[in-house]
Amino acid sequence: MKWLDKITESRARKVAQSTSRRGFLGKLATVVVGTTAAVPLLPVARAEQAGGQQPAEEGDPNSCDYWRFCAIDGFLCGCCGGSINTCPPGTEMSPITWIGTCENPVDGRNYIISYNDCCGKTSCGNCLCQRNQGDRPIYRPQLANDLNWCLGTQSVAYNCSTAVVIGTALDE
Amino acid sequence: MQKLISIVGVITLAALLGCSNDSRETISDAADTVTSVAADVSENVATTETVKEVAAADSGGSAELKPEQIGIVETLPEQYPAEWILVQDSAFFHMLDGRLLVVDASSDDSARRYKGMFNSSIIGQFAQATTRPEMYSVDTYLSRGTRGDRTDVFTIYDKRTLAPTAEVILPPKRSSSMPTVYNLQLVDNEKLALIYNFTPAASVSIVDLDSRTFIGEVPIPGCALSYPMVGRGFSTVCGDGTMLTVNIGANADDIESSRTDSFFDYENDPLMEKAVQIGSMTYFPTFKGNIQPVDMSGDIAVPGEAWSLLGAGDEGWLPGGLQSTGVDDAGRMYLLMHPEGYDGSHKDPGVEVWVYDVENQERVDRIKLELPAISLGITRGDNPLMVTTNINLTIDVYNANSGEFLRNIADIGAQTPFMLHGAR
Repeated sequence: MKWLDKITESRARKVAQSTSRRGFLGKLATVVVGTTAAVPLLPVARAEQAGGQQPAEEGDPNSCDYWRFCAIDGFLCGCCGGSINTCPPGTEMSPITWIGTCENPVDGRNYIISYNDCCGKTSCGNCLCQRNQGDRPIYRPQLANDLNWCLGTQSVAYNCSTAVVIGTALDE
Repeated sequence: MQKLISIVGVITLAALLGCSNDSRETISDAADTVTSVAADVSENVATTETVKEVAAADSGGSAELKPEQIGIVETLPEQYPAEWILVQDSAFFHMLDGRLLVVDASSDDSARRYKGMFNSSIIGQFAQATTRPEMYSVDTYLSRGTRGDRTDVFTIYDKRTLAPTAEVILPPKRSSSMPTVYNLQLVDNEKLALIYNFTPAASVSIVDLDSRTFIGEVPIPGCALSYPMVGRGFSTVCGDGTMLTVNIGANADDIESSRTDSFFDYENDPLMEKAVQIGSMTYFPTFKGNIQPVDMSGDIAVPGEAWSLLGAGDEGWLPGGLQSTGVDDAGRMYLLMHPEGYDGSHKDPGVEVWVYDVENQERVDRIKLELPAISLGITRGDNPLMVTTNINLTIDVYNANSGEFLRNIADIGAQTPFMLHGAR
C-alpha cells in the first residue's frame, strides 16, 4: 500500500479523515453482511464458552485497521449504535453471512470472523471500511464481501456490519 | 409584493392543473402502459424550437417578458451521442435513492452536460439495449421504504424520456450485491434479459423482452452471474472452478445445462467477475494477473489457454478495482492496474490503465491516470473516451486513444458513481 499512500497522500487526505488510513478505500465499499450463531460446517474450533480467561485484544475496535476487520466491507456497527458484535437498536442481525480469517496480533492465532450484517434501516453512514484479505468473488459467497447479506431478515435494507469471533481457524 | 404573490399563485395553480393529466399512472399492464405513457409524452413535451421562439421574443430590450408555456418536459435523442455516458450511482450512503444519470462526457459546461436521470433502489443493476431505444434496471422496493413487503421489479426505460414504459414483477430474489455488468445481461439478440438471484440459493430469472413477461427461473447452484453465450443461453462461473452453460428453449422449463471440467484455480488464482466480452470470446482477468479466455460461441463454454498480462519488469503489478475492465469498439481491452499487489489488493484502485490487443496477447498502451481509479468505462466509436471513477469518487475523462486527460466531472450529484457505461 505504500505506493498508494504516496500517490494519493495529499488529495485523499480529506477523504481519509473519515475513517482509517485506508478510509478512502472504504468509500468504495461494498455491501456487507452479518449473521448470528448458526454457521454450520465451518472449519472452526469453538472457543470456550465459559471459564478460562479471554485473551487480550489490542487496538481500536471502531477503527478500520482493527485486526478483526481483515475482510470486512461496510459500516462498522460500533460507530452506528451497536458494537463489534452487536447490532444498533431497532435493527435485525442477519442469520447468514460471509466469514474472514484474521490473525489476532496479541496471541498470534487465526480466528474465524463472522461479519453479520445488521438490517432493517438504510446505511449507517459512519466508519465505512473495506479490507479484502481472503475475499473471493461472489461465486464463492461464503468468502465474498460484495454481497448484501441482509438475507433471511425481515428487511433487505443494510445498516452496518459486525465482526463476531466464532472460533479459531484450524491449522492447515 | 401582493402582485408578485398573486402571480406566483396563478402559476402554481396552472402547474397543478397542468399536472392533472396523471402522467404518473400506475403501471399495471405493460402493453397498455406503453401506449398511455407514449401519449402523455407527445402531449406534454414541447420542442426545442418552442423554447427558442420564446427566447427570441425576449431579446428586445425593454419589452416585457411574454408568458411562457407551462408543462414543458425535455426529451433526449433516441440514439445518444457517442460521447455520452451513463453514470450508475448506487447511493451507497442512502441506498433507496440510487440513480442512473445521463451525462455528456465531452462537455466542459458543468450545467448542460447533465442530461437527465432516473431512480434506482437498493443497489439496482443496469443494462442498455442497442436494438431498441430502451434501458433496463432491476430494483428492489419495500412497501414502507426500509421495511414492509418486498417487490423486485425489472423496469424498462425509454431512452428518449427517461420514463418507465413497462415493468415486469420478478420473484423477490434478485441479488443486491455490489453492481457488476453481469448481474443483468441481455442474450439472444436482446430477446431475453437475465437477472442474477441470490437468497443465498443462486438462480437466474429470465424476462422475455418482446412480450415483457417473466418466463421462468433457472437454478445455478454454486455459481454466480450470467455471461452471455452467442446463442440463446448463458454461462455462469462456479465455486468449484468450472463454468455451467445453460441453453434456453422457448421457456425456462425447456433448458439444457452442461458443465465444463474444472479449469481455474479458485483458491489461489480465482477468476475475477469483471470479464470483458469481445466478439464471441469472454476474457476473465485473474487475481494474479492472468487472462483466462473462454469461447462462448457453441453450446458450452470452452476455456482456452490462459496468458499473463505481465511482461518483463511488470512484477508486482495486478489488476484491481470495482469495475476494473472495459473494451472499445476496436476490440481493445482496458484494465485498471496497481503496483505492489498482494493477497487482498484485488479491489485496490488502479494508478494506470493497461490496454491490450487480446488477439496477439500484447499490451499496446499504458495510460497513467490523473488520480487512481476504482472503475472505468469506454465510450463507443473510433475516438472513444475513457472515463474513470477516481478515489475522490468523481469522474475523470481521458482520450482513450492518446491517453490525454481531458477533464474532471465532479458536480453531477452522484456521491458513489460505482459504474460508468458508454452510451450504446
